[in-house]
Amino acid sequence: MTELAQAVVNGLQMGFLYALVAVGLTIIWGLMEMINFAHGEFLMLGMFGAWWLSAGFHLDPLLAIVPIALAMYLFGMLVYQQLMRRVQGGDPFTQIFATIGLLFLLQNAVVAGFTSDYRFVNDTFLQKLGGVRLTLLGVTFAVPLLLAAGLALLLFLALYLLIERTEFGLALQATSEDRDAARLVGIRPQRMFAVAWGVGAALVAIAGAILVNFFSVYPQVGLQFTVLAYAIVALGGFGSILGTLLAALLVGVIQSVTVVYLPPAFKDAFVFASYLLIGLFRPQGLFGRF
Amino acid sequence: MARLALVLGTLAAILYPIPLQIQGTTYYQTVGFLVLITAMLGVGWNVIGGWAGQFDFGPQVFFGVGAYTAALLYVKLGVEAWLGLLAGVAAAAVICAVLTYPLTRLRGHYFAISTVAIWMIAQPIGATWEYIGAAQGLFIPMKAHAGIVGSAVALQFSGPTKALGYYYSALVLFALTVALMAWVERSKLGFYFRAIRDDQEAAESIGIDSRLYKVLARSITAGVFAAGGVLYAFWALSVFPEQVLELNWSTLPIMATVVGGIGRLWGPLLGAVILIPISQIMSTTLGTGPLAGRGIDLIVYGLIIVVIAAFRPTGLLSLPWARWFGRRRPAAA
Amino acid sequence: MAPLLQVESSTKRFGGLLANREVSLAIEAGEIVGLIGPNGAGKTTLFNCITGYMHPDEGRIVFDGADVTRTRPERICRLGVARTWQVVRAFGRMTALENVVCGALQRTNRIAEARARAGALLEFTELRGRGDMPAATLTLADKKRLEIARALATRPKLLLLDEAMSGLTPIETAAAVKLVRRIHEELQVTICVVEHVMEVVMPLSHRVIVLDYGVKIADGAPQAVVRDSQVIRAYLGDRRAAR
Repeated sequence: MTELAQAVVNGLQMGFLYALVAVGLTIIWGLMEMINFAHGEFLMLGMFGAWWLSAGFHLDPLLAIVPIALAMYLFGMLVYQQLMRRVQGGDPFTQIFATIGLLFLLQNAVVAGFTSDYRFVNDTFLQKLGGVRLTLLGVTFAVPLLLAAGLALLLFLALYLLIERTEFGLALQATSEDRDAARLVGIRPQRMFAVAWGVGAALVAIAGAILVNFFSVYPQVGLQFTVLAYAIVALGGFGSILGTLLAALLVGVIQSVTVVYLPPAFKDAFVFASYLLIGLFRPQGLFGRF
Repeated sequence: MARLALVLGTLAAILYPIPLQIQGTTYYQTVGFLVLITAMLGVGWNVIGGWAGQFDFGPQVFFGVGAYTAALLYVKLGVEAWLGLLAGVAAAAVICAVLTYPLTRLRGHYFAISTVAIWMIAQPIGATWEYIGAAQGLFIPMKAHAGIVGSAVALQFSGPTKALGYYYSALVLFALTVALMAWVERSKLGFYFRAIRDDQEAAESIGIDSRLYKVLARSITAGVFAAGGVLYAFWALSVFPEQVLELNWSTLPIMATVVGGIGRLWGPLLGAVILIPISQIMSTTLGTGPLAGRGIDLIVYGLIIVVIAAFRPTGLLSLPWARWFGRRRPAAA
Repeated sequence: MAPLLQVESSTKRFGGLLANREVSLAIEAGEIVGLIGPNGAGKTTLFNCITGYMHPDEGRIVFDGADVTRTRPERICRLGVARTWQVVRAFGRMTALENVVCGALQRTNRIAEARARAGALLEFTELRGRGDMPAATLTLADKKRLEIARALATRPKLLLLDEAMSGLTPIETAAAVKLVRRIHEELQVTICVVEHVMEVVMPLSHRVIVLDYGVKIADGAPQAVVRDSQVIRAYLGDRRAAR
């Protein structure tokens, strides 16, 4: 029983990190309805950036969040303006094609720069807290993961307020609902899309900088997260920020509970099996708006 | 005009390896083999993606189903490759139908993720199921065969004619696939698939069972992927999860289809002829030497794809086909 | 003889909204029936229930002796009901001819036969010469005709036209009315037209049914319905007052 409770708690903590990984995609795919196969590569860039700043400049990954978020915000806008804007009007498959090219490019640019070796960060703030644990009713909380989850939740809430409560967020939503109508009330859709790509890239890169405290980095690390992120966004019901959080928590719990009973290879399989099961009863996603 | 192109293309495809073979080169035959396998998978993917208009990112599962079925039959029961191929195609089509029917309740992106879901579930099953060799997979032993005919019947070629043998086998399978799909395109199936793509509700209003025809489209795609999987397995002499359930088996054919013209029968061949040699040439020129293993070839490959996408805003679907091939409208349009 | 279509106190709710409340009606073979009512009266909901896109929460729908209350759209089409759409839904990337071929394939598996029938129907709907054009490039009036041709290709006994004339110019509307009459006379198809333009429906229909706020408020000969005080209040009254 305690084992199960422990698994649920661990899963919830991972879930907050997954939420941060997925929410960038919620904006790009869910709200703006553009497909990005290179989402995990944005994450990988964030992780590599944090590793590089940590190994080369002794900057803690948590502090590296600021420069990484800025750089990836600009990079996301660049990707939109130079590539995605051009393929936006065409068949959706063209977006897939373009972002697969981007995936090859980014992944292998990193291979060229840093080789395919696995990298680890050392002596970060969170890792130094590694031994500190809290025990509550027989369930242990590792403080580093707890802090990371808390940080992810804070960022998530900030984003939620940005999208739901600010004028900018409303303009973004208006653009996703109806581009022409948005234009009529003075919103520049192209600008909104660029910002959406920037924010999406920055968020997932921040997630990368946090994850680097717990996971090794290598150029191919992205795909597994891309796949999970798509499942989370779909489960959360496209474009629903809160739905993404709940779906991410669910995914985290499913993963960690699966591992209690089955070989680790099945942890993602069970996430997707749950997706199918849920899909059969709620074809519009768990938290779909319609 | 189109007929002339077909005749010339067929002749070129049959004849080009011969002088190379006489010279003693096998490299371009292998490239040709990879082009044809990709093109064939693309032609198959066109059915669900191009005609029926459904996002399917999981057909590689059936590439694996075909490969495993034929390999199991061969290793455990001694069934010959071509019979194994038929069995693999049948198994993939049936398994696909059973799995896909419930998924057709989902639409658009939800359906797309469900196809990925099946792939995500298939991977650990393949990696842990002892009967099919788990992560090690199955090895396909070479047997001695009497001459070219024996090799062709067994789909096992070795030595200097290996590349050539598999090239022609792939050519035969590709030709069969195109012929079958050309028939599908002109039949009731082709009309119904495109009707569902253009407007599912309207299709239902004229009596089209959209769920049934989506399942049929995906099962046809699965069958083609299974055939490709069998061919590849006998070429590679082994089947293991990381190889046959690899994501590239769907992304490469999809990209070839997008480049060559989605929904067009010959599009995937054109796309594969453009994309595969580029990647092969890149890996043999830039992927060797002091920078080997640094992914330079894939950087350039990625750049080429990005540039193609950026400078053909609506994809390559907008290639001026009509201008190139006279006023005759391609049947797929 | 039993009517071709019988709707028995069909009720459909969307959340708290009652789109149809205990609507009962019958359509006899050989009729042209007009179904009218202000916007939001529940006409399209009723169409969707009859054609299987929605299922009533309560009540029963019987077509040609078969209970179709919970039947899926494609099966209802096979039984002999065809429809068009308020917002046109042609197969945009297929040619006009191919659109109609898809309909004709409902009754044959042979492409040549389906093509011949489709060609004849394009002729009948005066779309000859447009056969090779992608449907998306047709004008609105032509798209509406194309939808009718595609629906007729399935050899329906009952044809439901959902606002087949809205958005058309007066000349186009006159041509559409003529087409509906020809379908009725030459092809012997029973027709139900949904319109909110009364001027079109009245001269065309043998009988008019009026819906208002999801409830049937009148059912009878056009002249009688026009004089019905409830109808005038609910529907015509507003319009006359506005003029």
